Amino acid sequence: MSGWDGFLHGLSVATQPGVLIYCAFGVVLGTFVGVLPGIGAMATISLLLPITYYLSPEAALVMLAGVYYGSQYGGAVASILLRLPGTPQSAVTTLDGYPLAQQGRAGVALFTSMISSFSGSMIGIFVLIVLSGALARAAIAFGAAEYAAMMILGLVAASTVGAKDPAKSLAMVVLGLILGCVGTDVNSGVQRFTFGQTELMDGINLVALAMGLFGVAEVIANIHAAERTGVPPRVALRELLPSRAELRRIPFPALRGASLGSFFGALPGTGSTISSFLAYAAERRISRHPDRFGKGAIEGVAGPEAANNAAAISAFVPTLALGIPGDPIMALMLGALVIHGVQPGPLMLEARPDMFWGLIASFGIGNLLLLILNLPLIGIWVSMLRIPFRWLYPAILIFVCLGVYSVRGSSFDMFAVALIGLVGYALSLARFNPALLLLGFVLGPLIETNLRRALLIARGDPMVFLQRPLAAAFMIAAAGLIVMSLVQVIRRRMRA
Amino acid sequence: MIMSRRAALLGAAAISLCKPAMAQDASWPSQPQHVFVGFPAGSSPDLLARIVTEPLADKLGQPIVIENKPGAGGVIGVQQMLNAKDQQNTFATTINGPLTTAPRLTPNLGYDVAKDIAPVALLATSPLVLVVAADFPADDLAGFIKAAGKEPDALAYGSVGKGSGAHLTAELFSDRAGVEMLHIPFTSYAEVTTAIIGNEIDCGFMAPSAAMQYVQAGKLKILGITSEKPFAKAPGVPVMAGQAGLPDDFRAELWNAFIAPAATDPAVIKTLNTDINAILADDAVQKRMLDMGWQAAGGSPEDLQKRIAQDTKVWGAVLDRINAKQ
Repeated sequence: MSGWDGFLHGLSVATQPGVLIYCAFGVVLGTFVGVLPGIGAMATISLLLPITYYLSPEAALVMLAGVYYGSQYGGAVASILLRLPGTPQSAVTTLDGYPLAQQGRAGVALFTSMISSFSGSMIGIFVLIVLSGALARAAIAFGAAEYAAMMILGLVAASTVGAKDPAKSLAMVVLGLILGCVGTDVNSGVQRFTFGQTELMDGINLVALAMGLFGVAEVIANIHAAERTGVPPRVALRELLPSRAELRRIPFPALRGASLGSFFGALPGTGSTISSFLAYAAERRISRHPDRFGKGAIEGVAGPEAANNAAAISAFVPTLALGIPGDPIMALMLGALVIHGVQPGPLMLEARPDMFWGLIASFGIGNLLLLILNLPLIGIWVSMLRIPFRWLYPAILIFVCLGVYSVRGSSFDMFAVALIGLVGYALSLARFNPALLLLGFVLGPLIETNLRRALLIARGDPMVFLQRPLAAAFMIAAAGLIVMSLVQVIRRRMRA
Repeated sequence: MIMSRRAALLGAAAISLCKPAMAQDASWPSQPQHVFVGFPAGSSPDLLARIVTEPLADKLGQPIVIENKPGAGGVIGVQQMLNAKDQQNTFATTINGPLTTAPRLTPNLGYDVAKDIAPVALLATSPLVLVVAADFPADDLAGFIKAAGKEPDALAYGSVGKGSGAHLTAELFSDRAGVEMLHIPFTSYAEVTTAIIGNEIDCGFMAPSAAMQYVQAGKLKILGITSEKPFAKAPGVPVMAGQAGLPDDFRAELWNAFIAPAATDPAVIKTLNTDINAILADDAVQKRMLDMGWQAAGGSPEDLQKRIAQDTKVWGAVLDRINAKQ
């Protein structure tokens, strides 16, 4: 069965009423848990998992997948409106989405995010149908050396995300890298910076870090503003929509973001958080007006949102085609498949074509539902800003606590999120960019693990990074970027 | 919910003040039971726990709440069981690590296996298989050992982390076979499998369920299994013990057990052991476990005690060997 025949066959599975209704339920639920800060797809899917015993395998998987990609839509809402990322992968959307909201253009930002999310997903699905075989082979061909080189390129490329003040940006990236070192060292089994806390053996919880840096810090920052109840005036529907000029700034960033997202999502271990950062960095690099970024650039919303949605779709490639889950959520999806007697992997396409193509077709239907659901919701989300701070912020703190606790039922993480919130507040007072800390935190352990693994496998020979062609290409690109930035700095100095 | 739970705890505390602490309440179990699992929902230790606790709840006539407290290789689940206020209604299921190797590998473990933990029953065991890529030059264990013995570190193997079952089994194997292999730690079997298929590393020990479908797809081959007897889920795979110069008692298995805090009433442990053995004898339960790659076990609390002591010794010696190499 070729890709398109398979997809058509899948549509017949996904449009069965008994499957369709669970698809709709999944995406609606996903949107809402995505909006709530901290409570994400991970917690929701693990809560739903035992319930799926009573469903048909198709309905169960379609629903769980719907929660996953639906949450990517919702994640942007609180990022834009309140500078509170609903999910870690939408953290980068705060950079330009929130300034837009402050300028009274929240509706435009939300519209951009929804449209980009939809385009990103659709492109992701297209890539999945046409290129899933090639992507699966690429995932196998990627060894430790390639991963390490690619992550280094990613780190170099994205370190310029908030490049108003290079020294401060660098400081944040490095702090993130250092925090990423906390926990058990994979190679030696040594506990690093855990101070004897068993809870820190697996490292600092990513959700606690993201929610603390953005969520709790933002709530603290608004305490003194609590009485300044700046209730925005009621906005007409017309003002929610972008102007023609703004509309024209969406397609290309969304397309670029989706391409980046499709690629990175398909590689196990990279995931959608990184792809949204890279999409942002890419938009900023190629823009003719890089100074607009951070002040409400449409491109800064469109690129990352398309990227994380495309990545959410293509993350199914290694999971389904290789049986290799790329992130903890995909591992959970894999578990769900196994519970229902479906073994994902090289044999799945032959053994269970109904399941494989039905799931992929349901992505298309689910995303269409998400678009139809979310466009009318924009007005309602914007009116959320009218809730007085004294009600909104305590509620947010409760949701953050629930969300962080739900990750692994740890009260330690709740104290951690409070502490990280204070640190995040201090950082924002000093005008540091917490998004870069998050980036360093996510990339650091991946770079370290893969770099050391590559060296171990090569029996200690560092030339491995130049002998393997893909790795060498990434390394050269990274070196090129560094040289380019240096040249820019020197030129500016010469002119001054 | 937090309030009501606190109220329940206060109530329980008040009741327990009224009577001698150690006397067995004939009405046990009079309230919902809690079973801690040190792995996330949907993971294989979690699924095993659910397979056993569903019928167990029916037998006890009380609901059983699974508390997933993942982290530190399952150690956090055991710690949380011991930290629970109500030590008569709180139990855990755990893999072998937290009871055997954790005292060596985890600083500030916070518990002493011998003093703080009362074994209840062994639930299930899982052997490991030695896996190589389909194009690996040797087709049997003897050929593999020959290739590995050419020079130290001639072959590299993947594991799911230092001190993991996959790591320790490979080191036990190397020791018994008289070879030295290069250890490359990964974090999941999926990563190890990819690295073997991609010819980045040469081999690895893993659960049969993680390998079988790649064998069927013609990408991997299995050279042997670490159990005493052939395993139904790995048909045609030869037992390693006694082969190619390996000793007859060569055995390495992961296991999963039901445990209680040491303060648990012995009568409660006896009840639980009887019920769990009855559940494990059920064909449907055995089949569900086997489908996940686990062999239902069972036996007395003393059997489990022996198993813990035995494995602590075997793996302790392997850890000594690993530490001596560094």
